[in-house]
Formats: sequence, C-alpha cells, structure tokens
Amino acid sequence: MHEIIRLVNRNLTISLNMGFVIWQIIFPLIYIFVAGFAYTALIHQVPFGNKTLDYPAFIATGMIGFNIMNSTLISGIIIWNDRRHGMFEQILVGPFTRAQYIVSNVYTIGIIGLVSAAMITAVGYPLFFKQVEFNILTVPLVIFASITGSILFGSIASIISTRLKSSEGFNVIINTVFLFFAFVSTAFYPAQGAPPILSTAFYFNPLTYLVDVVRAGIFGYFNSLVATEMIILGVGAVILFVIATKLLSKLEM
Amino acid sequence: MAVDNIDLQVPSGKIFGFLGPNGAGKTTTMKLLTTLIPPTGGQMNILGIDAIKSPLEVRKKIGVVLQQPSYEPTLSVEKALDKYGMMWNVEKNIRKDRVEELLVAFDLVDIRKKKNDDLSIGQRRRVQVAREFMHDMELLFLDEPTVGLDPSARRGLLDFIKGKVKDGLTIFFTTHILEEAEYLCDDIAIINKGKIIAVDTPGELKNKFGKEKTIKIHISEQKDISSLLAGIPECTIEHDSGVIITVRSSHSEQVLQDILKILASNDMAVEDLSVVPTSLEEIFLSVVKNSNA
Repeated sequence: MHEIIRLVNRNLTISLNMGFVIWQIIFPLIYIFVAGFAYTALIHQVPFGNKTLDYPAFIATGMIGFNIMNSTLISGIIIWNDRRHGMFEQILVGPFTRAQYIVSNVYTIGIIGLVSAAMITAVGYPLFFKQVEFNILTVPLVIFASITGSILFGSIASIISTRLKSSEGFNVIINTVFLFFAFVSTAFYPAQGAPPILSTAFYFNPLTYLVDVVRAGIFGYFNSLVATEMIILGVGAVILFVIATKLLSKLEM
Repeated sequence: MAVDNIDLQVPSGKIFGFLGPNGAGKTTTMKLLTTLIPPTGGQMNILGIDAIKSPLEVRKKIGVVLQQPSYEPTLSVEKALDKYGMMWNVEKNIRKDRVEELLVAFDLVDIRKKKNDDLSIGQRRRVQVAREFMHDMELLFLDEPTVGLDPSARRGLLDFIKGKVKDGLTIFFTTHILEEAEYLCDDIAIINKGKIIAVDTPGELKNKFGKEKTIKIHISEQKDISSLLAGIPECTIEHDSGVIITVRSSHSEQVLQDILKILASNDMAVEDLSVVPTSLEEIFLSVVKNSNA
C-alpha cells in the first residue's frame, strides 16, 4: 500500500469517530428541518438568479456548503492534534516524507468534504428536488465547489494549526473563525435582505462563494457572477494551500 | 542545545547507552540521528546509508520512541497498535499476531479496549513503546523509554529489550537512570555541553574513572578516630559520626588492612564492614564535573 494511502487510512480512522459523524449529520439536520421550516414564516421565498426558492430549499443547499466547511475545518485540525499529541514528529521519524504527510491531509480533507456534501445533498434532496434543474454544469459545479471549498477551509485550519501553540488560543481562534464563516455568509439567509454593511461582509467570506456555487450547480443557474465566484474560490484555495504547505514544511521539530 | 563534533560508532547487535545531564544535547543528537533535523555539517552513516542524502531510506529501517508522549487519543490500545503496524505496511495477519503478543508482553491485555485518552501516563508510555515493536527494524532509538513507568513495568521493558537484542536488534538508548544503563548497555557514551566526553563499556568506564571504592566501617563505641587514621596515605575520611566511618580510597585493600590494624591496636571492635565499588552514577557525576571544570 502506498505511503499516502496508509496515512489517509490513518487520518480517516482517527477523524471519523462516532461524535464526529453524529455532529456532521445532526447539526445540519437541525438547521435544515428546524430552522428551515421555522423561518419559512419569516422568509417566504428567496430570489436566486432567475428563480425564486422556498426557504427550506435555500437553507438545505446552504447546508451543503456549511457542512463542507464544518467538516474540513475539523479534519484540517489533524495537524493541530498531531502536534499536540506528539504524532507529528512520530510520523516524520517513520517511513514518510513531509510532503506525503501534507498530501495525505489534503486527500483526507477532500474525501471528508465530498462525503459531507454527498450526505447533506441526500438528506436535503426532498426539500429542494422540485426546484433542481440538472444540466451539464450541475455535477461539475458541485464537485468543483466541494473540492476547492474543502482545500480552502482545510488550508485555513492547517495554517491556524501551524501558527498557534496553546490550546486555549487555538480554540478561541477556531471558534471565532467558525462563527464568522457560518453566520456572515449566504448559507442561512440571502445577501439581498441584509443591511448593506453585512451584505458586503458576506463577500469577504469564502463560504458565501462556496454556497453560491453549490446552489448554482443544484438549481442549474450559471452566469458571469457565478463564474467570478468560482475563480475567487479557486484562486483563494490555491493561495491558502500554498501558504499552508509552506508553513507546514517549515514547521520546526 | 547544539552538538559539536560528535563521533560515535554504534556496534551492531548491541545496546548503546547515551547519557548526559539535562540540556547536554542528548535529544538534539537523537533528532539528528533519526533525521528529524539535518546537521549543519559532517557525516552521518546509519546502517550503511548516508543519512544526510537519504534520510527516508534510514527511517524505513529504524524504529524511534521519542521522549515526548505520542498517541492517538481517539483510538483504543489495540486499535492504536494495529493502525501503527498498518502505517508501517505490516500485513494484516502479521499485525494481528503482533498485537496479541505485545498486549501480553507489555501487560496491556486488561486495557486493550480503553482509549489512549483515558490511560494513565505510565500506561500510555507502555503503549508507545510497545507500538514500535509492531514493525521490523534493524536499529531502535529509545529516548528515555522508562519515564513514567513503575519499577515492575520498567524491569519488564528492559528485559523485553534485552530479548530483542538477542534476536539481533541494535539499540541506541538514552536515559537518566544510571542503574538502567548499567543493567542494559554494552557500551556507553557520556555527552556534556554538546560534546562527547567519554565512550566505553561500563566496565572500562569504571576502570578508568572509578578506581576509588567506598569503605564503610561500623564500630561499637562512639570515638573520634579521625586523628588515628590521619596517617594512612591515599585515604579520605568522608564521614565520621563516631560510630560509622566512611572512607574513600583507590587502594581499598591496603587501606582496609591498615584501618583494621589501627582499630585492633586501639581495642576498638568492628561491628560491620562493607566495601562498595564506585557506581556508574558516581562515575557519571565525576566525569561531568571534570568536564564542566
């Protein structure tokens, strides 16, 4: 078995514990079915491109992006946990190179991101299936968003993991980053109805781009704005990935 | 701690002890030898491989138990052993047998289902050391492997290591516990301030640096006999409570005879007497002290 596959196997084994899986399923389900239907009274319909979406359909598709972010932020902290529990050095005195360790983390994050996206798509499908419009771009757009989003958020978690030393600092930063990404985005509510400052802030958040591209794929709507969002998402993922890799390769023993 | 001009040859199939005070450079040397950090100069040949040019080739043939704890908190003891074997590409059926063997050898059977996060420090350390024997290797680096272990677990580990060496494994071993080094090691190097200050077998180190022996004499009555023994050459009275006299000398046999004669001629009865050879610990302290001076 190749070294990277062995490391991915190990990463998945340590990440996919029962708590993680429950968190990954229950948390978005609460948002989709509780918040989704509870807020329907307040937010009847949401304009999206040339369509108007029911709020449950809007939030269910938002949860796909949200779950990709959530799961990859968590799996991105493999590096943090490895450093904290001495496994980072232990792996690097084993039959692995630093590059293999980095690549294995990227694969792990990508796999978890894709599985999370598939899981929420399956769960949320009954809510948005009436408005789904499959076309040639649907699946590639959702896959593109899942992979670039995973790499982007995984890289952010990796960067935080390499820079911080104390558990308290790490927890504060991760929670702050999570709150900002989750709630200052178009995952839960549309940018159109928000105050101008907030709706502008939405576009400083990569989750907004990720969610918009996922929705564009699922509802079959593609225009120049979606293309721009895809470019921003892709470029952001590449830049953050390069930074994360450089920081990780320079991480002192 | 930087290390400088370290020149070490570790014979195959032996246990090589690497001793030194805190901050002497032991862990830095260990990190260099295990290729965790590259040296700024010099040569490093491990198992016939140039470790600077081909660090990965070296790492494929060695095992390392680092000083710091390392564990997967979410895995059970048996799962952690199995996954570690998988990471080393050990076949599944071999892994299964080795897990059972190591659970017994390291007294982990009762806690096999417990998660690493729930273990005591000593239990976790046992898992960490046991885990390294999941894969085959030619050379094993052990950086203070007995830290946190109780005396019985410690002795069990040392005996397990001895058994592995009989099977042909070479071991590079650092410790602070000098009795362990004396019990286990075929050769010993002492490092201080980043430089090697002594390398030899424990016996030869004793011959070189431990000629002095300690003589303890317990007499029946309380008398100050320092003045009586003042004339004996090469003899230092370290302690005289009037009942117990502790004498150090490099000519212990002659000195002992002289003391007994003096005591007899002064009608002083000896209740108890012992001659203690210099321990490795005393040699270590003396060598490090001389090196600091």
